Amino acid sequence: MAKAEDYHQLQSKRKAITTLLPYAVRLEKDGQPDMLNTFIHAARASKEWELTWHHTWKYAKKLPHKASPHAFVLVSPHVRWYLLTDSGDLVQQWAAAASAVPYTEEVGQSVVDVLLQIVEVDELAPYIPTDMWSWLIRQPSLPPVCYGRVVGSHAHVFRAVRALKDIEVLKSYLLLVWSEWGYIQDGKCFDAMCASIWKYFSGNGMGGHRAELIQRLDHILGQLDWGLEHLKEHNPQLGRYDLWRMKSQYRELREVLLEVERCMFSLILSFPHTDSKLNTIQWFGEDVCQCVVSSSGTEVIVPLL
Amino acid sequence: MLGKQWLNRYASTDMRGTAIQRSQNRQRKLDGVITWYFDHVMESLPLMLQIALLLLGLALSRYLWEVNIIVACVVLGVTSLGVTFYVFIVIAGTAFESCPYQTPIARTLRHTFHWIYLYTPHPVHVVISNLIQISWCCQLPGGWWSSLEQPWYSTTNIVTSLTCIALLPVALLVDLSRLVPEIVWSLLQDEPTVTSPQTHVLDKQTIVLDLRCISWILQTSLDKAVHLSTLKHLQQQMLTPINFDPAIVAYCFDVFIGCISVNGYEVVVMQGLEQLTSVSALCLFHTISHLWVMDPTSSALRDVRQYYNKIFPANVAFYGHQFSHTMNAIHQVFIQSVGHRGFRWGHYKPPGDEHTLVAHTLLKLAQFGYQRMGQAKVPRLILRFALHSLSLDPLPPAPVIADCLSIIAVDLGCDISDTGAMTLDERYVHTP
Repeated sequence: MAKAEDYHQLQSKRKAITTLLPYAVRLEKDGQPDMLNTFIHAARASKEWELTWHHTWKYAKKLPHKASPHAFVLVSPHVRWYLLTDSGDLVQQWAAAASAVPYTEEVGQSVVDVLLQIVEVDELAPYIPTDMWSWLIRQPSLPPVCYGRVVGSHAHVFRAVRALKDIEVLKSYLLLVWSEWGYIQDGKCFDAMCASIWKYFSGNGMGGHRAELIQRLDHILGQLDWGLEHLKEHNPQLGRYDLWRMKSQYRELREVLLEVERCMFSLILSFPHTDSKLNTIQWFGEDVCQCVVSSSGTEVIVPLL
Repeated sequence: MLGKQWLNRYASTDMRGTAIQRSQNRQRKLDGVITWYFDHVMESLPLMLQIALLLLGLALSRYLWEVNIIVACVVLGVTSLGVTFYVFIVIAGTAFESCPYQTPIARTLRHTFHWIYLYTPHPVHVVISNLIQISWCCQLPGGWWSSLEQPWYSTTNIVTSLTCIALLPVALLVDLSRLVPEIVWSLLQDEPTVTSPQTHVLDKQTIVLDLRCISWILQTSLDKAVHLSTLKHLQQQMLTPINFDPAIVAYCFDVFIGCISVNGYEVVVMQGLEQLTSVSALCLFHTISHLWVMDPTSSALRDVRQYYNKIFPANVAFYGHQFSHTMNAIHQVFIQSVGHRGFRWGHYKPPGDEHTLVAHTLLKLAQFGYQRMGQAKVPRLILRFALHSLSLDPLPPAPVIADCLSIIAVDLGCDISDTGAMTLDERYVHTP
């Protein structure tokens, strides 16, 4: 069934497939990973956010003791973390397991997926070790149907990422969350993204990051131009509204990035012969914009038109 | 008359002396009975009478043959009839142990055949049973019998009977020409070509007999200790798919009800009957499941359901008892009360044999449920059982894992045919 990749059938049989999970995990620990691999494959082929049956969620707490670190990491995206609000130790065990497993694309996808899911849960987010955020920088390609991406575009997740004050992590986060497989459902998050582009990607030396972000958005918009049928082959849950929202959002984000690019260009033209250092551009709406420029140890606020 | 005297002497009870003296006297008489082969002598008395009667009939016929042939023919006919009847009951008594028309000759013959059977090499058994199966002479009467129609004197029956009689010599010739080389060839071979499921058939026969005994004991006995040992025996027998008396379900339920009292929604187990309650609940679960699979419209099932509803309120609480999971499963699967929809297997961790029995029962229910629900899914309660069992640490016994995986396979739409289920049962039967 998993080989056939008939996602309708896989979705209808998700309870039976999930029932196999404890046994598959145990077999994997005993050196027989075939059943677990089949489960992972079926979970992905089902194109379902939440494949697992809710009766298996309680089993998640036992995973660190019953599964090998590799199996724990691969299965963890199918754990419903939002129900495990009292499992801070589970988050730490998961982080330890992820650190113990050699990096592969599959492992990277799972870790990033889970990371975004955990950040979304307020009670669990404090338990995430800081070094786990470096997994975002590796930028594994998340699958078309990915629960981590959905919850990852919530406003407070974005705030948590922004609070790290690490431009590499922030850029990697945006590159992961921006995708042709879904729009940013949280309007506040979208607004915060636009504002952050002005704030964090407008300083000196940010040109490379902006270019990467624009390239990513170009790629997404190119994919969206292929049409809904093409996208539905990989993510059958997409509809016309999703396509429209995605196009409008990603175009807008691209516009913001291009605007920053234009502002930067005009600023450089305005201060061609000074050793001024452009720190940030603050954006106060569609028309009001100002930049903070350091010059000989003092900061000067320059309004932009 | 002598036998009557002897039996009176044996059955007489001493009225004097202490209990020890009387029992010593009784034991002495019993030892004498065994030492002097009393039973054989008693058995031989009617036999001698029968032989005497036969000799009288033969002698009378011989004498009357010279006096009046017609009268002699009548006596000879009556004697022949008696002999034929006697031969028939001897054959029947030899072939079937349960035949009530037993005679000393039949018993001796049966012992002799049994002895021959035991000391005959196994390949010879196999060859004989195979030859019986393929022999035309053996098949011909069976075919004739099955082709008979109503009324028995119909033209078709007469023609068929005559054809069979005509074909019998031909079949004999064919068998001789075909089977003799086959016998020689089979005996020359080291391994028999076809194996016979003799052991399994015998096992099934024994189990059927056991189930009848269990049914009788549960029906007649009021002793709780007897109930407990009987139900434990029933628990062991239930892994083999045998049709049993549907009344066993009611008997199991009666035993269970006899161990508890219901106060409002709460079930209280009587002191000292905890084990019997658990065993009877388990047997009830298995028997009711088996009956449900075999005959969902059974009147016994309907009666038990009515009786159950009369005794237990819809949201009865079995929690806290050893049998709570079993009874809740019964409640949900067979009674289907809304109050128990939230039932969880939770901390269910039974002993290995109980777990095996429950898993096997649920597998059968899963197969049945899958078919009944339009090949869509097995009941979720059963799938949750599989999930719970496969999550246990340490893992349950291998048969439980096999059954749980089979339950999942059924839900996934894999074809686990009856043959497959039989294989599982055979494995359980031979598992110590």
